[in-house]
Amino acid sequence: MATPLYEVRNVSKHYGSVVALDDVSLAIAPGEVLGLVGDNGAGKSTLVKVLSGAHQPTHGQIFLEGEEKSWNSPHDALVFGVETLYQDSGLAPHLSVSANVFLGREEYVKGIFGKLGFLAQKKMDLDAHENLERVGIAVPQSNRSISQLSGGQRQAVAIGRAVSWASKVIILDEPTNHLGARQAGEVLAIIRRAKAQGLGVIFISHTLPHVLEVTDRIVVLRLGKIVADAPTSTFDAEKLLGTITGLIDSK
Amino acid sequence: MALVSQRVKTALGNQQVLLLIVLGLMILGFSLKSPDFFARPVFANILSDWYPLILIAIGETFVIISGGIDLSVGATVGISGVVSAIAMEHLTTNHYSANETLFIGFLVAIGVGLVVGILNTLMITKAGVVPFIATLVTLGAGEGLSIVFTGGAPIGGGPSNAISLSVANIFNLFSRPGLMIIALVVILGLYLHKTRFGRYTFAIGSNPFAARAAGINVNRHLAKVYILSAVLSSLAGYYFYLRLSVGAPTTGNGAELQAIAAVVIGGVALSGGQGNFLGTVLGASIISVVASGLLFINVPANWKQVVVAGLIFVAVFLQELRTRVRK
Repeated sequence: MATPLYEVRNVSKHYGSVVALDDVSLAIAPGEVLGLVGDNGAGKSTLVKVLSGAHQPTHGQIFLEGEEKSWNSPHDALVFGVETLYQDSGLAPHLSVSANVFLGREEYVKGIFGKLGFLAQKKMDLDAHENLERVGIAVPQSNRSISQLSGGQRQAVAIGRAVSWASKVIILDEPTNHLGARQAGEVLAIIRRAKAQGLGVIFISHTLPHVLEVTDRIVVLRLGKIVADAPTSTFDAEKLLGTITGLIDSK
Repeated sequence: MALVSQRVKTALGNQQVLLLIVLGLMILGFSLKSPDFFARPVFANILSDWYPLILIAIGETFVIISGGIDLSVGATVGISGVVSAIAMEHLTTNHYSANETLFIGFLVAIGVGLVVGILNTLMITKAGVVPFIATLVTLGAGEGLSIVFTGGAPIGGGPSNAISLSVANIFNLFSRPGLMIIALVVILGLYLHKTRFGRYTFAIGSNPFAARAAGINVNRHLAKVYILSAVLSSLAGYYFYLRLSVGAPTTGNGAELQAIAAVVIGGVALSGGQGNFLGTVLGASIISVVASGLLFINVPANWKQVVVAGLIFVAVFLQELRTRVRK
């Protein structure tokens, strides 16, 4: 097998005496959509935090394109092209669409004023619009504040920002939560487009029909361990649910 | 015609436009009631009240937009003025020239501001104390130490030409330090709304988690914000020294409330993430005009606080009304 795009090997995470992740290994290839599912407390959020750089594993290694990495913060990871969309912390509501898209990656005007930190606001407004359009999101105006948008539009901006900046891997934690059917469909379309661009997509969700619809492979976590890792085609809704709850033992 | 009325509505929905109208009406009202009011020396005097207020109100604006509060600004005005006055008295006794003394006094004042800002920062970012409590601690300590250092009496004995610096000799309207303060105000306004520093201040106040996730070093940024606020307060303390030629321990007492009043009247939300620099400038201007204007229409000075209290209520009420209409 070719070198995976992103990989964790034998990762464990202990919080005191609690073992949140126990010897977990998984890998994702470019252009692959990996579904990560499991019941509450199965270790999904912990694994997301390890993958995104928010938490450091107690044991185990992380590899990006075959190179071992040690993230000290999510910022470390995103510098290397690994973007994470968190469940709820995504956007700054009082800031404009473009300010959010460019948050932490501001562009400056040319010359001495740019050196002093003056922002190239017009350019960022235009580019933000372009970036979002490129990943398939039509947002009214770059200079509108997030608080003026609907819930679906906000989520679209959050995902659009993550996808447009990710150069390698994008981790989406419950991106279809709280969305209507049509908006969820748009999110799934964005995931397919990201896949077509060769990004590795890690899709974490409780909504199993979405997982079955959009992923290539599904990893099931239970009590901190991986209990299944197989192509999506080998699952149907019943089998997936059974694996998650432990009623079906796939190992 | 419909377009015009729409424009008028949008303009009235804008806090800064409303404040400008209020300020204009106040000046007009005071002038009509007392013709002596509309004169250059009066405005020069209003400005000399405005300079220190705007300095601390700007610091407070950055802090409040970042989602915090700084209660220590008034105490910082007091203690920086006092410590700087003690230093300048000492230097003058030792026959340093007036200019050297004033310059060193300036550096001492800023140094005191830095110390207060760093203390606030350490409590907030390292010890995890909420800003309200952390700056309440420095408020108490600062006011207390000002009295301890001075025995409660104003400290004079500095260079004799200090007071002449704060005379409004430019168009009989501005003093030299005043013009410097105005320049500083313009620069800080641009910094809040046009630069990355300002952008991060808004972002942290709006959603610190999103800011952190975007790679912003939130604690380091907050440190800069609280240090900026304290240093601006120490500049106000030094300005008071120039104006009064003494450093009095009680100079900044209650200034934090005036600063917060200016900020709130200006439309900055105490919940963070929202606000406009021009609003603060206008808020501080309204407070300064009210203070002088009331004297001219023979209203006792103590009524100023009542009027400011009323203005705060109206400003916040209007804001609330607007958010409700929008929803």
